[in-house]
Amino acid sequence: MENKSVNKQDDKSVNKSGIKSLNKTDFIKNLDNDIVNIINEHFFNRDNELVIKINPEDLKKICLYFFKDLKFYLLSAFAADESKDGGNNFKIRYIFSHSSMDLFIIVETYASADGIFPSLSADMPVLNWYEREIKDLFGLIPEGHPDPRPLMLFPENYPQDTNKNNEINSQYSSDSASCHPLRKDYPSGLRPEFKKYGEYNYNKDVKGDGVFNILVGPVHAGIIEPGHFRFCMSGEPILQLEIRHFWKHRGIEKIAEGKTIDEALSLAEKISGDHCVAHSLAFLSAAEKILDIKISDRGLYLRTIYAELERLLCNINDFAWLFQDVGYSFGAQETFVLKEDIMELNKYLSGSRFNKGVLSLGGINACGDIDELKKKILTEKLSDFKKRYLNLKKALLNSSTIQERFEETGYINKETALDLCALGLAARASGVASDTRKEHSYLIYDKLHFNSKVLKNKDVFARLLIRFYDIEESFSIITQCLNELHAEGTQTSLNDADINIKKYKLNAAILTSTETGVNTAGNNSNNAVFWGLGYCESQRGNIMHFVELDERAKILRWKIRDPSFHNWQLIEFAVIGDIIADFPIVNKSLNLSYAGNDL
Amino acid sequence: MLNILKTRIKEGIKVRKINIKDIKKDNIVIFNEELRNKLLNKSENRHFINNISIRLVDSGSCNACLHELSALTNPYYDMERFGFKFVAAPKHADVLMVAGCVTRNMYSALMKTYENIPNPKFVVAIGDCAIDGGEFKDSYATLGGIKDKLRVDILIKGCPPEPIDILSGLLLAFGKPIK
Repeated sequence: MENKSVNKQDDKSVNKSGIKSLNKTDFIKNLDNDIVNIINEHFFNRDNELVIKINPEDLKKICLYFFKDLKFYLLSAFAADESKDGGNNFKIRYIFSHSSMDLFIIVETYASADGIFPSLSADMPVLNWYEREIKDLFGLIPEGHPDPRPLMLFPENYPQDTNKNNEINSQYSSDSASCHPLRKDYPSGLRPEFKKYGEYNYNKDVKGDGVFNILVGPVHAGIIEPGHFRFCMSGEPILQLEIRHFWKHRGIEKIAEGKTIDEALSLAEKISGDHCVAHSLAFLSAAEKILDIKISDRGLYLRTIYAELERLLCNINDFAWLFQDVGYSFGAQETFVLKEDIMELNKYLSGSRFNKGVLSLGGINACGDIDELKKKILTEKLSDFKKRYLNLKKALLNSSTIQERFEETGYINKETALDLCALGLAARASGVASDTRKEHSYLIYDKLHFNSKVLKNKDVFARLLIRFYDIEESFSIITQCLNELHAEGTQTSLNDADINIKKYKLNAAILTSTETGVNTAGNNSNNAVFWGLGYCESQRGNIMHFVELDERAKILRWKIRDPSFHNWQLIEFAVIGDIIADFPIVNKSLNLSYAGNDL
Repeated sequence: MLNILKTRIKEGIKVRKINIKDIKKDNIVIFNEELRNKLLNKSENRHFINNISIRLVDSGSCNACLHELSALTNPYYDMERFGFKFVAAPKHADVLMVAGCVTRNMYSALMKTYENIPNPKFVVAIGDCAIDGGEFKDSYATLGGIKDKLRVDILIKGCPPEPIDILSGLLLAFGKPIK
């Protein structure tokens, strides 16, 4: 398949003809008239968060207009239970973003009184898992969903609804016939009785002479997280792959409800252990926006350094595993040594090999500060790492046997990437620009010089090359940050952060008095609630957190979306036609998180 | 490749020496004190010493523990020099290693793995949330930790525990007696 437009410029020109202007303030005016007419209400929640309220019957029209006509892509979709006594009020939000505009569009609608909302999965395949997730956790029915099987609450282990009648005030108990844990009337900590409830139904498999199935998992033959894969095979080539995930569903979003920001931060670090900095960064940036906490320049630079160190570590790790999976142990072990050295550098810098506990509300904890001595050692180590990394890269690029395995393996077509809203390096290797650092600049990425490379080769090798670019950019970004770190104006930071936190702790009622938050509960200021979006570009792609706090600054709703949630669905398409021995390579070329996906 | 070889010759072997007398003992809890004394010293079981096959099951960790476990096989820690190895099938294993809390969805897979390990078998819990579920112990989606489901012989604490702690824990339990 040919890719017509592969770089950003082309995308931009397409959109310019679609939207007359990319100006944020006139954005609504420039939409089509029949779209403007069905919008009930619109306002800017923050500079770049445009909220559009619509009726459920118009949902399909609006979403498809943004997704298909204006080339926006979906970042998250989730429900929230805002029921009051006796009422039944479920809000459903869809977050869209665009690769050439710093604007999030939040399409907000509601489920009908009997708990039904329209399904868009047939037109927007990316919504497939999102709608099934809403169905499991809230008991709302996506009407017309092509595949309404349970997603994270396995039919074997959780009671499933038998009737479609959604009684909102039914008393949940351990033997009740339904389990919708994210509803507010579902008591925290209540466990349905543990017994066998039903069976899992696979998707339709391939039938025919010589076609056979291979079932793998959930317990794998190595040090791998649990996931279940069913391959339909004919000889060596894979005809179909069904991925069954959510074995490690831990219910993080429910546990977090009612917790303070500090308690939730500890959970954020456990969403996906190797991405603990990225997830805490996304969570904190949402919380800081809501509480209106400003971070000092030094705090921003330090956060950038830790975010890039994490990106570097994960990319080196994936690089090592790719070597390992093609049987090139020599290169793999050398790269593992490099990875271990980076982790020990992390430990030297912050006391934790994963930089856990470095970020805090309002800035950086004292353990993560980088003084002159640490800066000197960090600079020395980085130049040493870079030299070793370049040697390894050369070894790989000089080996035709390794490249032969990577090239033309695991194709992800641009159409697939766009339909499933591929994020991060998976998208960038298939000709789709996707880098939150460029699109919605956060921290200090707008002041730094770096490129976000887009390739159109769409195979495993392209994704490896994107990793190489990312690794080199990370080295460069950390160096740039270190140079700025001890320049004028960035020296006093940690104290500022402390003051901010004290301010927040002193007056928890700060939320009810501040004007910056938006009262989404209508005019009733007693029930004021505040929400914001937190996002960052992790090594795997965009991380999107939606955080809603109550008036005591405790978590009301926290929707976490790891990039793996989008990118796992790509693998079902990437392996088709490849031989089964290439599956580990395709899998490792994306190296997705199971924990972040399952939550 | 020649460059890499050159550096390797220049820098020498990376393997880190582990001095079992200096390890931080508060990170390692051995619940089953008789483990060494009774089982491992019995003549028919002495083959376990420094010869342990491990089957790892991740029943709900955040994957940081897994990163640290895979670090055990890198040239720094190289746990195979002590006779510890990860095996693919439970039938080949002596030890069930569990990382993370036990989720409802993983419970039966975990139990099946345990049942398929031949006797005598040991259970090693990795990380703070393995034993009682940690922060996830009250969730609707977990069943707490493995504490009340399996007899845990060794717990290695930490979030995540560092590779050196994991290796020390294994050595304390299954290594040669300290003199």
